[in-house]
Amino acid sequence: MNRFDYTSFLKRWLMVLVLLSAPVLRGLGQYYASAGNALRSAQASAGSNPTTESTVSLKDALHDLKKRFHLRFAYREGLLDGKTVSATWLHQEQAPEVILEKMLASCMLGYKQINKKQFSIFSTATADRTTGNAATSETSTETLAATETAAQEQAVAAAISGTVTSQDDGMALPGVNVIIKGTTTGTTTDSDGHFSLNAPDDGAVLVFSFIGFQTTEVPFSAGQTVVDVVLPVEMTSLSEVVVTALGIEKERSALAYSVTEVKGDEFTQARENNVANALTGKVAGVNATGLSTGPGGSSRIVIRGNGSLTGANQPLYVVNGMPIDNTTPGGSATTNGGAGNVDRGDGIGGINPDDIESISVLKGGTAAALYGSRAANGVIVITTKKGRAQRGIGVEYNGTFTTEKVSVYPDWQYDYGQGDNGVKPMTLADAVTTGRRSFGSKIDGTDFVAVDGLTHPYNAQRDNVKNFYQTGTSLTNTLAFTGGSDVLNYRISMSDLNSRSILPNSTYNRKTANVSINSKLGDRITVDATLQYNLEKAHNRPTAGDALGNPNWTPYMMANTADIRWIKPGYDANGNEIAWNDAPIASNAYFVANKFQEDDIKNRFIGQASVSYKILKSLSLKGVVSRDFYNYNYNYIVPSGTLYVPNGQLNNYKTDVAETNGMLTLNYNTQINDFSIAAFVGGNQRRYDYKQLNIAGSNFTIPYFYSTTNLATQSTTPLTQRTGINSIFGSADFGYKDMAFITVTGRQDWFSTLSPKNNTIFYPSIGGSFVLSEALSMPNTIDFAKVRASWAQVGGATPDPYAINLTYSMVPSSGQPLQNVTMDPTTQTNIITNPNLKPLTSTTYEAGFELQFFRNRLGLDVTYYDRKTTDDIVKTAITPTSGYNSVILNVGELSNKGIEVLLTGSPVKNGNFTWNVSYNVAYNKNKVVRLADGLDQIQMASSVNGWAYINNIVGQPFGTIVGTRTQTDANGNVVFNKTSGLPVATGLQNLGQGVPPLTMGLTNEFRYKNFSLNILIDGKYGNKIFSLMEVYATRLGKMKSTLPGRENGLDVSGVDQEGNPYSRTVPVSGLRVYYDNYKIYSDKFIHDGSFVKLRQIIFSYNIPVKNLKVLKLQSASISFVARNLLTLYKSTDNFDPEQGYTNSSAQGFESFGLPRTRSYGMNLMLKF
Amino acid sequence: MKKYNHPLSFGSLLLAACLVCSSCDKGFEEMNTNPDASPSVTPGYMFTKAQYDGASDLLVLLMGTMQYTTSYNDVAGFGSKYVTSQNTQAYGLFTTAYPKEINEIGEVIRAVEDDPTKVNLLSAARVWRVYCFSRLTDMYGDIPYSEAALGYVNSIYKPKYDAQESIYADMLKELDEAGSSFDASKPNFGNADLLYNGDVTKWKKFTYSLMLRLAMRMTKVSTANAEQWAKKAIAAGVIRDDADVADINYLNTGQVINQNPLSYNLLNSDYIRADGVSNTEGGKYQESFITFLKTNNDPRLPVLSIVYVNGSPDTTVAVQKGMPATFSAKPADFVTYSEPNPKTILKLDAPLSVLTNVETSFLLAEASLKGWYTTETASDLYSNGIRAAMRQWALFGAGGVIPNAKIEKYVSDHALNTAGTEDEQMEQIYTQFWVGVFPNAVEVFSTYRRVGYPALIPNNYAGNATGGQIFRRMLYPNTEQNLNAQNYNDALTRQGKDDFMTRMWWDTE
Repeated sequence: MNRFDYTSFLKRWLMVLVLLSAPVLRGLGQYYASAGNALRSAQASAGSNPTTESTVSLKDALHDLKKRFHLRFAYREGLLDGKTVSATWLHQEQAPEVILEKMLASCMLGYKQINKKQFSIFSTATADRTTGNAATSETSTETLAATETAAQEQAVAAAISGTVTSQDDGMALPGVNVIIKGTTTGTTTDSDGHFSLNAPDDGAVLVFSFIGFQTTEVPFSAGQTVVDVVLPVEMTSLSEVVVTALGIEKERSALAYSVTEVKGDEFTQARENNVANALTGKVAGVNATGLSTGPGGSSRIVIRGNGSLTGANQPLYVVNGMPIDNTTPGGSATTNGGAGNVDRGDGIGGINPDDIESISVLKGGTAAALYGSRAANGVIVITTKKGRAQRGIGVEYNGTFTTEKVSVYPDWQYDYGQGDNGVKPMTLADAVTTGRRSFGSKIDGTDFVAVDGLTHPYNAQRDNVKNFYQTGTSLTNTLAFTGGSDVLNYRISMSDLNSRSILPNSTYNRKTANVSINSKLGDRITVDATLQYNLEKAHNRPTAGDALGNPNWTPYMMANTADIRWIKPGYDANGNEIAWNDAPIASNAYFVANKFQEDDIKNRFIGQASVSYKILKSLSLKGVVSRDFYNYNYNYIVPSGTLYVPNGQLNNYKTDVAETNGMLTLNYNTQINDFSIAAFVGGNQRRYDYKQLNIAGSNFTIPYFYSTTNLATQSTTPLTQRTGINSIFGSADFGYKDMAFITVTGRQDWFSTLSPKNNTIFYPSIGGSFVLSEALSMPNTIDFAKVRASWAQVGGATPDPYAINLTYSMVPSSGQPLQNVTMDPTTQTNIITNPNLKPLTSTTYEAGFELQFFRNRLGLDVTYYDRKTTDDIVKTAITPTSGYNSVILNVGELSNKGIEVLLTGSPVKNGNFTWNVSYNVAYNKNKVVRLADGLDQIQMASSVNGWAYINNIVGQPFGTIVGTRTQTDANGNVVFNKTSGLPVATGLQNLGQGVPPLTMGLTNEFRYKNFSLNILIDGKYGNKIFSLMEVYATRLGKMKSTLPGRENGLDVSGVDQEGNPYSRTVPVSGLRVYYDNYKIYSDKFIHDGSFVKLRQIIFSYNIPVKNLKVLKLQSASISFVARNLLTLYKSTDNFDPEQGYTNSSAQGFESFGLPRTRSYGMNLMLKF
Repeated sequence: MKKYNHPLSFGSLLLAACLVCSSCDKGFEEMNTNPDASPSVTPGYMFTKAQYDGASDLLVLLMGTMQYTTSYNDVAGFGSKYVTSQNTQAYGLFTTAYPKEINEIGEVIRAVEDDPTKVNLLSAARVWRVYCFSRLTDMYGDIPYSEAALGYVNSIYKPKYDAQESIYADMLKELDEAGSSFDASKPNFGNADLLYNGDVTKWKKFTYSLMLRLAMRMTKVSTANAEQWAKKAIAAGVIRDDADVADINYLNTGQVINQNPLSYNLLNSDYIRADGVSNTEGGKYQESFITFLKTNNDPRLPVLSIVYVNGSPDTTVAVQKGMPATFSAKPADFVTYSEPNPKTILKLDAPLSVLTNVETSFLLAEASLKGWYTTETASDLYSNGIRAAMRQWALFGAGGVIPNAKIEKYVSDHALNTAGTEDEQMEQIYTQFWVGVFPNAVEVFSTYRRVGYPALIPNNYAGNATGGQIFRRMLYPNTEQNLNAQNYNDALTRQGKDDFMTRMWWDTE
């Protein structure tokens, strides 16, 4: 019996945790199962078996058992692949052991019950050669597979045999993996726990491994022939786990707060360039918004409402347990900027979706308490894919191609065409003057002279938007290699993303290389390292905001009888901009696209390394160092010949940013009878360095030669920012059986950005959960019930250094030296520093419950939270008459209360067809409770020309849009100014909130055999949006609201400011000025920003690779994806409600960003 | 038994960690020190900055309102059509002055005020502060003054608006105190002073010239006050010699801040292409200005004005022609209209006049007419004003030199009509003031509102915001409604609606 039972075997079986999560989260594992189905069906239809029996994949069947009986299964990775069982077993009313045995037996499998709830599954078939190198979607802590080649076997010298038993109950253990250390030679125990193999005659070490038991090494000496082993039970419980703070995996039932996990393949199929955008609609309480800034643009994620009055309010991103930088180089785009007001992309946008294993969204304060202040807005924990031990090298290819087109077009008036005073242009000069005015005569098809100097018929040109923007494309290729042995596992991936924007001549390229290594050096030391290198290049990122240098302005604002292609290519023979309108700052879109040069390159390196040392069985020490470093080079050239700056401008940023973290933790885990304790203490040191050099200048001495050496005027401004946070923290989890859990954490932070007398804060958290279904007997319909509650504080400080002392800076001068008070580097305006700044506090109460009904066909997860931020550190605009433009203060109180509901269900579930539904909805009520004494509102942002503002006002929700209305008297009559004949505007009033309080997402997933269809609908309700585009469209006569009076003048009436009746007729010749003046009444441009969108459709087909053996494919799938397919509801006529263009906290303005698009694509995944 | 010690050891570990971290903020103070900034102010450098900033705060649109220039466009930036879009343009001075020169000069004053040896620095700073504030209040009326720019030192984030009357009273008091404090034996700003290189004697003249300007501003509203302060200023000595004029010299290369702000603005908003056709904002000299110069055979015309003929600037008088302000589209003969001369007014290194003997001469002429000043006759003062106005163009380089004979010819052709009424003489004086202090439209706008001259014919452009009248003031930025609403509303209660046609304190009917 010295031959191998398996030509392929595992050196060591390690845990594979079956993650039987919500159906929607189920990943590629399904594909294998379905592939098996297809195979069987194919055989059936071929007539080999006339009685077609309904089958389900073994995985699904186990999933069902798991949910019905709260069992946990562990098995070797790949063991279940392709195996199916009769669907009838799903519904049998028998003991789980009985069902399990029957099912497994039909698949040549057996099980070993490890404890009341846990089962280990193994193969009973000697012929089973399922190898472990098939990647699965299951969370694999580590899996090893050995090569099988007989040639690699060592010289057979002596036979060795023995029996393996469990320490727990003394029973024989079948299926235990036995291997000679350092070789690929090994076997498994038979059903009696017996094994035998050939071993070197000079002695070696045998390694015994089995799921649920500690891996044990037993040396044997030369001549020894019998080795009997007793395996101790592994303390680590096998259960559904999620990754929580500091990368710690926790059992879901032990969590005292709400965590949502999203699997990596949700991002790879229907992909967004920025992975954060793909969270839209998927997680209750997470408000994710992609921006209208094209490929390479940023995302804006807000979890449970905006908790800080003026801070970024975005969550902390953590990759493999360590924070990464998510800043936008040069800062977010402003709400009112002009040329070069671009979104330069954020940090999370650099993560390749294909490298992501899973994303956990930690919403509660308890989870966040361990990451410190920056986690006050929630944490998004990303776990990247890891290598696995396996036979040979696993190769995975993922390719995605998407195309996108503009999906939202403005609804302008096409009754009256280009011109002014009711007259169409008949000369080139008139055509230029009226290039953006649609106050001409009735559109009638007669001749007029257009801006190209030619005569054209006076016809409506409805397709300027369509004609200007092109079809955008995006192609991503990712190739990943995985492999490993018992000491070292690796995964290497390389990815290339190439995007062509819908904006002509605008591109984005991202290359990512990711290496992940984990290694076990002996018994006690584990080393993990992840290295990532990114190269991101963007060309001509689109400007948003004001008109100058904004290519999005022309297609919308060009007069409605002019074809935008008439101003192509936008420049003359000398390369100078051709005017298409009377305002030089309203740039020619083609000139901007063709001649403006905006390039940025980001070189980013993320490195992480951790060493873990097991001091005792229950005590280990772990050290982690991580560094996220990037250098960024941005060059923006406004070329010679630009109308608004004929001699050109240059703006260059060179930025080096590094976020470095070092963390040391001492971990202690033990089990005392029914009580478990998991505790750790640790310290973290964070350093952030931002070094920037800005070279700005104007007037190229030699025209068209764009170098800093050629600038008549230039200045160089350095910016050096350094901050640090030192922390110590501790956490303890106590568990009683699988029933009751308590978590206590505490953390003390020291902040470099605050003054030494106020720079530290301690903040604790406590949380508990109780699994009712374990403790009490429940009605039959309820399968699982858990309640949870927590209380947590998080302290924080200003992220900006140098905020406590006023300093003075030299101003570049060619003459006498000049000095100024040091300005805020982001706004370049004066800021009042504050030596008394103290840490802010954010306190969250949270309570919730989870229920599973009807054999887990229906699930409900409800959370209520109450989050309060006090002593917020606020950078607020103040009147410039104070001598400063902003001040930094500890003020006020901000409250967020909300409820999150997740409803999951499986309305249909039979062998071939399943339908799963997941609906999440969250309502967040936000209120500014208090600001400082004498301060009842603060300004967050202003629009171009101050036509509207975003304020935080006491008693109002965060981010209230503020502006004017048309003044009326008590009887509703419009009040006119007699002198000007124009309606009077009111003072500033609240016009609505800019952030939607209600968000929801509905996912329907259908699976039939090898096909699956995933449909996501999401919506947001209750916010307002102020449209700058409509302000201009009104001023320029493109809005339908400017039609009255075109023929015979506009009769207006009301009262004058003294209250006397007033009326007049605005002549046709005065209409433009009259409507132009509408810009001072903000409320005319306020819209409800609510929407419901058909966000995503993924249609996938698992290619049955077993029919394609020649290709050596493990698995393959092809998906057709569509994003932003349809807007089911919106109340904006001319733009998309999601037309934001800055990832700052100031949300609620729309202003000529890139239009929203609909995208279609195809995704191909191949595994070899 | 040993097992149960574990929770305790956990606790002691936590305790140990706390003790280890007793110096957990080591190095943080140094880390939080900006390596690119200085912890203390250098008064001279800050003063120079305040001078540049104060001098560059020009409301260029007033050149259109005062009918020097115009555009066929009605985009914001040209004040010749009184359209509503001009309101936002008028915000600029208000929003930039406070964080820049007003705050800077406050920093200078606080840095030197406690050191008696720095009295000349303090006095110059106080005078410059008055100059900057006077420009602001003359544009807007009531403005934050006593509580302005105290955001850092006194944590005043919402300064109250002071009544213009009290602002004038305080400004005059400041000038009085500073003027009498200058002490030639003590140190001065030296080269950091762009006006006079620290010359205390000249600073005194500037101080009293400014006092004269402010005094005369009050003739309509408070004649007695005006007379008292005017007499005081005249007695103390105002700028009379070319050598004493307050102007700032600039460079034609290098940083923008070192270049003449008016030339820079005109060039970059309009005339940089230098071809007379592709003017960015469509600007030209206005008809009323060029016609006046031409009709009066003014030797300044070729100094100030050119027409592009075959692509080259031509100063020939015969071809000079101003553009009517009534156009609403680019005229076909756009190139044939006059525009600023690149060899004088558009030079980036042209000097910028802050206060000159041109202005003092005309103010003195008015004082003489009123009988407040009897040492010289109104007629002589008037003629001297014209002479000084013509001579000053020599400072703009060779292209600006006007031969003395031409000056004298013009002076004799345009003598003050002493036989006329006081009003007729006032018209002559302030019409010459208009031509004489060109391009200082800000100052002309103030005297125009006070005396009603030059007798400009307002432009009644279709859809204008003022009913075809010239502005009486500029609008407060609408950010004030959002950031300082209570004080803003108090100012409106006192002064009237925030409107172009609302008259401020010294501008009574």
